Amino acid sequence: MRLTDIALWIFTAAFFIFMILPIAVVVVISFTSAGYASFPVPGWSFKWFARIFEYQPFIDSLWVSLQLAVVATVASCLLGIPAALHLSRARSGWATAITTFLLSPLSMPMIVIGFASLFFLSWLGFGISFAALCIVHTVICLPYVIRTVTAVYRSVPPAYEEAALILGASRLTTFREVTLPLIRPGIAAGCLFSFLTSFDNLPVSYFFGSAQTNTLPVVMLAYMEHQFDPSIAALSSLQLLLAVIALVVAERLYGIEKMTVAT
Amino acid sequence: MPKTAHVSARMRQALLLAPSLIFLVVFFVMPLVDNSSRSFMTEDGSLTLARYGSFLSDRFYLGIIVETVVLSAAVTAISVLIAYPVAYVLVRKAGRLSGPIIFLLIAPLLTSIIMRTYGWQVLFARRGLVNQWLVTDLGILDAPLRLLNTPGLAIAALVHVLVPFAVLSIASVLQGVDRRLEEGALMLGASRFRTFFEVTLPLTMDGIGTGAILVFMIANGSFVTLVLLGGGFQTLPLLIYQQFNTTRDFALASTMSTILLVIALACLWLQLRLVRRQGA
Repeated sequence: MRLTDIALWIFTAAFFIFMILPIAVVVVISFTSAGYASFPVPGWSFKWFARIFEYQPFIDSLWVSLQLAVVATVASCLLGIPAALHLSRARSGWATAITTFLLSPLSMPMIVIGFASLFFLSWLGFGISFAALCIVHTVICLPYVIRTVTAVYRSVPPAYEEAALILGASRLTTFREVTLPLIRPGIAAGCLFSFLTSFDNLPVSYFFGSAQTNTLPVVMLAYMEHQFDPSIAALSSLQLLLAVIALVVAERLYGIEKMTVAT
Repeated sequence: MPKTAHVSARMRQALLLAPSLIFLVVFFVMPLVDNSSRSFMTEDGSLTLARYGSFLSDRFYLGIIVETVVLSAAVTAISVLIAYPVAYVLVRKAGRLSGPIIFLLIAPLLTSIIMRTYGWQVLFARRGLVNQWLVTDLGILDAPLRLLNTPGLAIAALVHVLVPFAVLSIASVLQGVDRRLEEGALMLGASRFRTFFEVTLPLTMDGIGTGAILVFMIANGSFVTLVLLGGGFQTLPLLIYQQFNTTRDFALASTMSTILLVIALACLWLQLRLVRRQGA
């Protein structure tokens, strides 16, 4: 190996230590027996995981977040997949412009989307409600589904569908038997990113906070501003575990390269 | 193609596109327009530019716009500088390790912003891991350092959030570079360094641009890191958050979010130009 290669690998290793260290310490701290997050860890326990289930706002907001992420992801699929199917085959300048527009929520500052939506949705009569949260979360999740489905469907040759149509299958049958199985990796990646985006979102959910509509990140932020105990660490570790399981399952089913198109 | 078939194809296109288009026009465009329009209205509903006039002539608020842009630019520059070698290793050197490397890049994206800021607090608190090493284990220092609420830590935390996006976009462009151009330069006697700086780097400039704009856009809108880790920065998103939380001057918050929106739109426009050039 050349010297430059060695230097590159050392740099890369340092980079990943930088990336992993702040996350790893949280996982370690979540197993501490001490009442505060500090080193050295005096002993090990699961009590902070138990604490999650004793603190009612965590459980309530976890339930809100889960329902919200499912609704936003399903809505994004229903709205986004048809558009993605059309746009990935269209070649006109209009189609490019529409794709840009449909992806543009990704480029707008989340805090502005949240702040603006609060006033607009109140004016429409939604107020601070679960329905309002679902609408705003769908706005920020929709681009992920459109992006991943478009990316996957573009790489599918139209010949497969043409063959089915020529052989006499109806449009619906062709969609169900040919198109849908082919774009499934895109849908899966889109759902994964949509779900995680919604579940983690703080800047938008923050504006729609109330006892009934606080999401998990909003409750965690409020908790962190007053306390520094390791229950936040335990909760974060659980969240990470779930996300990693989802990623590994998606990777086993569809391959990790497909996942990177979403970012 | 018979005319009826053509018409029904049009109908089908419209039906496929309409739901998402209508949804985003109503629930994405209209709130933003509504919000910006509020910053141009006086209390009694007539048009005014007074808010922008006073905002842009106030040294404090001008300073905040500058600070927002400078902080985002600094975070972007650091992210791109760190990301390039990592992307290079991922595409050119990793071989069978590229799978695990991509996994390590994506894994932090799956962690919540709360978890990461908590991690930085645990690492750099007075009784955190870093002070523990410096004072007790290595004995370099006598007393723990004050590391939380420093600008450096806030910047590091922002880079931590954003650098994977830069790596992924640079890597995707590096992947597309025609290796024969590099081999040609090497064969004609250029050193490896010269080949890199005169062939590889110019060819990946557009990828650096796209990645940089992406990072800049996200940095411009982020405030959770700054709320929790401090650092003394005063940025537009942070001020909007404070206006909403404590001062409750919603017209001022609308003005600031419109300015933030204009910066974001400018970035989007730049990004589209770059992408179009890559396509051409």
